[in-house]
Amino acid sequence: MDLFLGSAEQGLIYGLLTIGIYISYRILNVADLTVDGSFTTGAAVSIMLTLAGHPVLGILLAAVAGALAGIVTAFLQTKLKIQPILAGILTMTALYTINLAIMGNRPNMSLLYQETIFTGIDEALGRWGELVFCLLICVVCVALVSLFLHTRLGLSVRATGDNEDMVRSSSINADLMKFIGLAVANALVALSGAVLCQYQQFTDISMGTGMVVIALASLVIGEVVFGWSKLMLAAMIIGTIIYRLIYALALQVEIPVMYMKLVTAVFVILAISYPVIVDKIKLHSQKRRTNHAIGQ
Amino acid sequence: MLSVNNITKIFNKKTVNERVALENVSLQMEPGEFITIIGGNGAGKSTLLNCIAGSYLVDEGYILLDGENITFQKEHKRARYIGRLFQDPLKGTAPNMTIEENMALAYMRTAKKPFSIGISKKDRDYIRTRLESLGLGLENRMKTKVGLLSGGQRQAITLLMATMTTPKLLLLDEHTAALDPATAEKVLELTKQIVRENTITTLMITHNIASALDCGNRTLMMEQGKIILDLQGEQRGSMTVEDVLELFRQKSNREFDNDRVLLS
Repeated sequence: MDLFLGSAEQGLIYGLLTIGIYISYRILNVADLTVDGSFTTGAAVSIMLTLAGHPVLGILLAAVAGALAGIVTAFLQTKLKIQPILAGILTMTALYTINLAIMGNRPNMSLLYQETIFTGIDEALGRWGELVFCLLICVVCVALVSLFLHTRLGLSVRATGDNEDMVRSSSINADLMKFIGLAVANALVALSGAVLCQYQQFTDISMGTGMVVIALASLVIGEVVFGWSKLMLAAMIIGTIIYRLIYALALQVEIPVMYMKLVTAVFVILAISYPVIVDKIKLHSQKRRTNHAIGQ
Repeated sequence: MLSVNNITKIFNKKTVNERVALENVSLQMEPGEFITIIGGNGAGKSTLLNCIAGSYLVDEGYILLDGENITFQKEHKRARYIGRLFQDPLKGTAPNMTIEENMALAYMRTAKKPFSIGISKKDRDYIRTRLESLGLGLENRMKTKVGLLSGGQRQAITLLMATMTTPKLLLLDEHTAALDPATAEKVLELTKQIVRENTITTLMITHNIASALDCGNRTLMMEQGKIILDLQGEQRGSMTVEDVLELFRQKSNREFDNDRVLLS
């Protein structure tokens, strides 16, 4: 029971991260590696403000900090013409130093006996408090992002990722759309890190490492399991919960934690290259059949 | 209307690959004029359109549209009043978005409110009536992703999108060249109809001399970055394809090299 409850809570929290990746990877069509840095940025901002007694403000400012990180990456990509992947890596690298600075040059910090966003609801609802609160945050975020994607601005952002040539010749500022898209994506990523920090009550400088891959794994699961529906954002959350459940079960059967990143990476490779692999296998069997038929 | 003054465009300037794509080109267009442009490969036709649309900035000269200097204006700003179609039918529409979403993007060309709902009921009704005017039955498939449509259908939608809010200037860069003959004919008919109904000032590049003479009311011939022939009025009215080819021979001392012309 605890296993399911924990996975659901974490799935909801990391779900925001997956939605962020969905915006950059699926909608803007950019693999945005800023995420590994901005996730930690969110957690760092969140922990500092929580320690100062402002947990809610911590969450909000974390999102703003994440948006700023996204804006930096967009600037590198569009105005300085740096390749998208490299732009993300550069921002992520720079953020490592900035994240350390935010945390007062300490590589990890904890939040014992501090009031967090979860404190009030925990007292009111007991063990279900965290789940309910995470769900609430998720519903609000999904609703806001979904609304955004249906505005004129949202349509323009989607078009930019889909066909930049068209966007350029139809009076939409494609560069501006990338700024907006990456800012929203990284705001969600940082928000995810910020909530996670208050949930697990600590922040570590390396907690963002590998987050892109984990989010991509969740994204793929979400698309496979729930992609038939039109509710892609909900699919992202469900995918993340399933990923967290698999992760927790793997730990239950005592697969060492250190193997998990390798397993996740291999999973993402297989999931993304699945169509290519299927084609290869089909071609191979077609060759064999043809050769057999003509007697060679 | 459109006033192009002594523009020059040089690619790979100061390298061994330097190429003068446009040399001192000037062009004055009257409102409502429909100009067709013909010329061989590399004559500078597309470069001229790209300079007017802002994809390239010119090296010399200036461009005015309705008296406003647009020489250094960004491409997406010019796109607010310049509609555009490319040869590649995939370039003008977003494949993973539905027909109505694509059309709505074009519809909000002039709208300022970014946070209003993307497609309101009113928008949807308007989009439907515009699609009906194509006569392709697309008004019943508004929720279909554009990527599932044929090249001709996509080009027809792009044409609607480019003219949804009547542009001051419409630039057509061989927009029917990648379509099969029957579809090309249909899209060209639609083009003529839309341009006529809205009296849009239009510049159309074509490789088909017959349709260059048939469409519009003025024909330019380009060669090596210059406009070598400007046909209008009575002179143009009595021209045949053979006459044009003969004129080209006289002007440039060589045969018209565009083999696609011979095949079409």
